Amino acid sequence: MANRNFLGPSGVVLGKGEFWALTLAGFSLFFGTWALVAWAGWLPANLLPSPLAVWDTLVRLWQQPFAGHVYADHLLASIQRFLMGWALAVGIGIPLGLLMGWYRILDEIVTPLFDSIRFVAPLAWVPLAALWFGTGIGGPLLIIFVGSFAPCVISAYRGARLVEPRLVEAAQTMGASGRQVMQHVLVPGAMPSIISGLRVSAGLGWQSLVGSELIVVGAGLGYLMVQGQGNLATNIVIAGMIGIGIVGFAIDVVLRGIEAWFKRRWGQA
Amino acid sequence: MVGVATVASALALWWLATSGLRLLNPLRLPAPHEVWTALRQIMGSGYAGATLWEHALHSLGLVARGFLVAVVTGVPLGLLMGWSRRAEALINPIFLLLRPIPALAWIPLAIVWFGLGDTGKVFVIWLTAFVPSVINSFTGVRNVDTVLIAAARTQGASTAQVLRHVVIPGSMPMIFTGLRLSLQASWTTLVAAELVGAFFGLGRVLNIAGQDIFPGMILVGMAAVAICGAGSTWLLGRLERRVLNWRAAV
Amino acid sequence: MSEIVFKAVTKTFRLPKGGDFLAIDTTDLRIEEKEFVAIVGPSGCGKTTLMRMAAGLEFPSTGTVEVGGKTVRGPGPERAVVFQQFALMPWKTVRENIGFGLMCKGTPKAEADAAIARYVELMGLAGHEDSFPHQLSGGMQQRVAIARAYVMQPAALLMDEPFGALDAQTRIVMQEELVRLARRNPRTVIFITHAVDEAIYLADRVVVMGRKPGRIIETIDIRPLREEGGWEAMPIEEVMDQPAFTHMRSRIWKLLKAREQEKPAA
Repeated sequence: MANRNFLGPSGVVLGKGEFWALTLAGFSLFFGTWALVAWAGWLPANLLPSPLAVWDTLVRLWQQPFAGHVYADHLLASIQRFLMGWALAVGIGIPLGLLMGWYRILDEIVTPLFDSIRFVAPLAWVPLAALWFGTGIGGPLLIIFVGSFAPCVISAYRGARLVEPRLVEAAQTMGASGRQVMQHVLVPGAMPSIISGLRVSAGLGWQSLVGSELIVVGAGLGYLMVQGQGNLATNIVIAGMIGIGIVGFAIDVVLRGIEAWFKRRWGQA
Repeated sequence: MVGVATVASALALWWLATSGLRLLNPLRLPAPHEVWTALRQIMGSGYAGATLWEHALHSLGLVARGFLVAVVTGVPLGLLMGWSRRAEALINPIFLLLRPIPALAWIPLAIVWFGLGDTGKVFVIWLTAFVPSVINSFTGVRNVDTVLIAAARTQGASTAQVLRHVVIPGSMPMIFTGLRLSLQASWTTLVAAELVGAFFGLGRVLNIAGQDIFPGMILVGMAAVAICGAGSTWLLGRLERRVLNWRAAV
Repeated sequence: MSEIVFKAVTKTFRLPKGGDFLAIDTTDLRIEEKEFVAIVGPSGCGKTTLMRMAAGLEFPSTGTVEVGGKTVRGPGPERAVVFQQFALMPWKTVRENIGFGLMCKGTPKAEADAAIARYVELMGLAGHEDSFPHQLSGGMQQRVAIARAYVMQPAALLMDEPFGALDAQTRIVMQEELVRLARRNPRTVIFITHAVDEAIYLADRVVVMGRKPGRIIETIDIRPLREEGGWEAMPIEEVMDQPAFTHMRSRIWKLLKAREQEKPAA
């Protein structure tokens, strides 16, 4: 039983039983509606396959190649591409953001350039990326890079700016050199902001990967989906979406874990 | 000052590398004058089936429609989930399932369902903006200070009055944060959707220019996307400042 | 040699709206080697700025600050600072925070560990060596900050309202401990505070400052009182009840109050 509380949701405590019943109802509502619409034949199967049909398709794709590869290979191709592009964005973006936070002159030089291309949607780079680096690996890599670069720079920049000046002073009064201040104060001080930026950038990078795979490559989950769409095989399209969702979720869970670990260790300071 | 100088020197460098010293293959990076030619062509006689204005207006219209529908459906749902723990418990599972799938991944399904016309694009833009609208409205409600609600109650406010005068205004800053993020994301989704398949729009321009290997036109398309994105964000910002006029300067 | 000498020091700040603001008017002050000087004054009198100049975190507009006969040109480990907000690195354990300066100096590990262990013991931090600052109470955090300053064996100790952020009870305990530490390890100390009690109890000399512009109003030697009264042997509550102590306290209060009321008074 929920307590009646006039102060809105923050004070209300939902009983465990009621919570789980409603949650279960939510899941059943989703899958139930889906299954009902599919089985009742309100939509033709080539527009909306039933949940079971999608499951069968997943199992089949695991064994038989479609669009040139089995499902696991598409999955790996996507993950690999994502990791390369994202690593590039993190490797360049974070040091750049930190340096911009510390050195005013760099901030003043880079920020206007950054601002003038910030509003180009990452996917709008596709034709240029294809032209420059081809459609195999380089082109998609650039798209992922463009998609995840901005949050890396911004979070590192903010982090560097938010380090308490007093900590820098304290380190200096204890005789820390410039390099030691950087290593022991500035980088760890910027870390919480950097890590939350990593989460955002990984999400955007994964999304950009999907976009680039829809357009330019020969393997990967996005490619699988486009091929499925071309054959009007909706079950394959949905199977691809499930893989994309699971990997995206896993990436977020891992980064959330890291974030929580840092918070626990350093407190909320 | 430094800003103007850097942008100017970047432009000068571009000119030098392409026209001045011809260091770069013009098929890789076009010279400034080629971009100018492309711009005049698309403004005058048109490219990929229409002039730049028509493409841009078409894209803007799609984003506006998808975005508005998302706000109108998403914000109330988020407010409801924020206010009622029961609604949250019931609806949250659906979000748990759908949220990890980026809106872009819906494009192939949207094409199967709605074809290459406008409906499919409005649908994916709606999806893009819907999820952040719901989540930020939800968080906004949960962050409203209970002391404010208590204060309103002690002055005799009914639940409807508490919602209207305390909860909704209190969650507005958070809602606008969500809107800003989802507007940017909407443009990304739109461009992707138009690149995958469309008859009109800026993504279509980019797609055809890529196939024609017409780098000048690619840059025009990118710039147009950026200007539309920046312009719509600016409009949203003005609206935010007007709605949130009670806030201390941010 | 570690006396601190302010020679004809002034400090002017440029206001953001334009114009200059004289924060400290011409000030001369000499703090002898191993002398404990407390500076009291209202907020905005420039007492913290004086300390920061000795630390090398700020520089005088005119005049010089010398420590041990050398002009201060920047921060250094021979002048340790204890900040009001502790300024502990949240990502380092108690041990790592105390050992930070030794590490910067390149002290061999065994020697550093021994020094850290000594001050952990002395400041009552045993058992907390591997805790992070956020796991400690405010009083404990300030113990870490003081240990971190002492472990460097600095010639001068500069403390900026180190107990200002602590609750009243913790504060009294810390004051007693600081006296114990300061008598055992005498150093040249500048102690900034706006608590008059604290200044009289801790210091050899109290410097009273006024504001608009910041300047020294009077310097009072407390040593004769302490020696006559035998304060060293008494607990802090008792010291603060001594007639000589309360008398001195009202004298300083009057000094501060008189200056504050100078302008608005009819």
